[in-house]
Amino acid sequence: MVAECVTGKKVLMKGNYAIANAAIKAGCQCYFGYPITPQSEIGEFMSGKMQELGRAYVSAESELAAINMVIGAVSTGVKAMSSSSSCAISLMQEALSYATADQLPVVLVSVMRGGPGLGNIYPSQGDYNQATIGGGNGDYKLIVLAPSTVQECIDLTYKAFYLAFKYKNPTMILADGLLGQMMEPVEFYDYPYPEIDTTSWALSGAKDRSARVIRSYAPLEENQCVFLDNLFKKYELIEQNEVEYEEYMVDDADFVVVAFGSMFRNVKSAVKLCREKGLKVGAFRPITLYPFPSERLNSLADKVKKILVTEINMGQMVRDVRLAVNGKVPVLFKGKGVGAMIDVETLVEEIEKQMGGV
Amino acid sequence: MEKDFIIAGFGGQGVLLAGEVLANAFMLDDKKVTWYPCYGAEMRGGTVNCGIVMSEEEVSSVQKSKADFIIVLNQASFDKYASWVRKGGYIIVNSSLAKKSDNQRDDINYIYVPITEVAQEKLGNIKMSNIYALGVLAKVSKLVSVESLEKALYNVIPPHRKHLIPKNTEALKLGYEYDLLKV
Repeated sequence: MVAECVTGKKVLMKGNYAIANAAIKAGCQCYFGYPITPQSEIGEFMSGKMQELGRAYVSAESELAAINMVIGAVSTGVKAMSSSSSCAISLMQEALSYATADQLPVVLVSVMRGGPGLGNIYPSQGDYNQATIGGGNGDYKLIVLAPSTVQECIDLTYKAFYLAFKYKNPTMILADGLLGQMMEPVEFYDYPYPEIDTTSWALSGAKDRSARVIRSYAPLEENQCVFLDNLFKKYELIEQNEVEYEEYMVDDADFVVVAFGSMFRNVKSAVKLCREKGLKVGAFRPITLYPFPSERLNSLADKVKKILVTEINMGQMVRDVRLAVNGKVPVLFKGKGVGAMIDVETLVEEIEKQMGGV
Repeated sequence: MEKDFIIAGFGGQGVLLAGEVLANAFMLDDKKVTWYPCYGAEMRGGTVNCGIVMSEEEVSSVQKSKADFIIVLNQASFDKYASWVRKGGYIIVNSSLAKKSDNQRDDINYIYVPITEVAQEKLGNIKMSNIYALGVLAKVSKLVSVESLEKALYNVIPPHRKHLIPKNTEALKLGYEYDLLKV
């Protein structure tokens, strides 16, 4: 049974249901999706609730159709979303490129599972690159938010809708199978962000104004250059204003462990154990994967002697950490292909081993 | 201090539901808690388990390979999870469906309870096995009360099945009354 999300009441809920409920409370008017484990609960919940609320739910014929339906819906200025997982997010890459070019506030939830290819349904963080670098054509960026608790699934779903509209840019919530399936106590609250005015661009019908068109086709070289310059001015703004991260015991740390999403939970308790042993270790978690907290990591590198990045993949975010740190200190990597997060004992061992030389 | 629980059995024995009730009870007691399921692609009959982590502080790791309290409702789960119990921990074994082990560990506590038989004979329905086992767990662990578990039933059982709550409460109480000295 999915608990009813009454504001201010603590309920035990799966990450997937938390995201779906938060989207509804954020005012999402349309959901389009195609089922895939480990995120099917989002669509399942939406299929009942959206109808009950008189909003739109379409079980699309494919992921390709679903994401293009989102593009159609948000073009009219309403909040709309889709959700999917790894191999099916791959199918949506073309549309994401178009949506950035069209400057549309698409919200997409990606609940990562094992890959490449069909992979498996175990948790994974193997789509960091897919989310932050992307598989669509051209110069573009998605805003990418990575929760690490079920409560944060709610917080960041709210934020995703806000940022998508504020910057007119597709925004992705990057969760994983662990977060999607696990239950934790959460508390709902009302959507905390202001509503963004869409009247200057939305295709709301040309009554009493001239007709508009939203398209990404720019046949003239010069026009496309101007467009891209402006697009990247927007990305500069996003990088200035929206970076978010969490730090844990970094103030006097000689050694910092960096992780995102679910993996950070284990890192935090490993750091706690290391502190009990008298080791000066801290932990750092990018919450926004784009914009990446490069500046903060770079300044941390002035104080610490080594950085260890841990991910449930073969080494993806570690590249961004290395770019941020720019050679100031060694950036080590401890990864695992897929499945259960690297356990706390293994992390403590790894930290102790790597700190040997510090 | 985190306490780890695992409930394991066949798909269809209500393993995930029992875990959900336990996790809700911890939440109602203002503890931090997470619940995480693990199951195959089968609808019924495969093995299934869920892990519950309870803590006074923020819960860190969700999937662990050790637990303080484990309930095993069938033989396959008993075979798999006996080695997962932490030193000094407890394993509650459904002796209706799992044989007493020949080479028992001497650093953990084995609680053999004919869970399926009791559910059938005293509660009139083998479907009561999971909730009855939770009653036994409440007594063994001393970490959750029958009252909190009963309140949790209201959170977990959907409105159209509310009439089943009294029977489930009876199962909890009967489990809690199980004479541990008999084991």
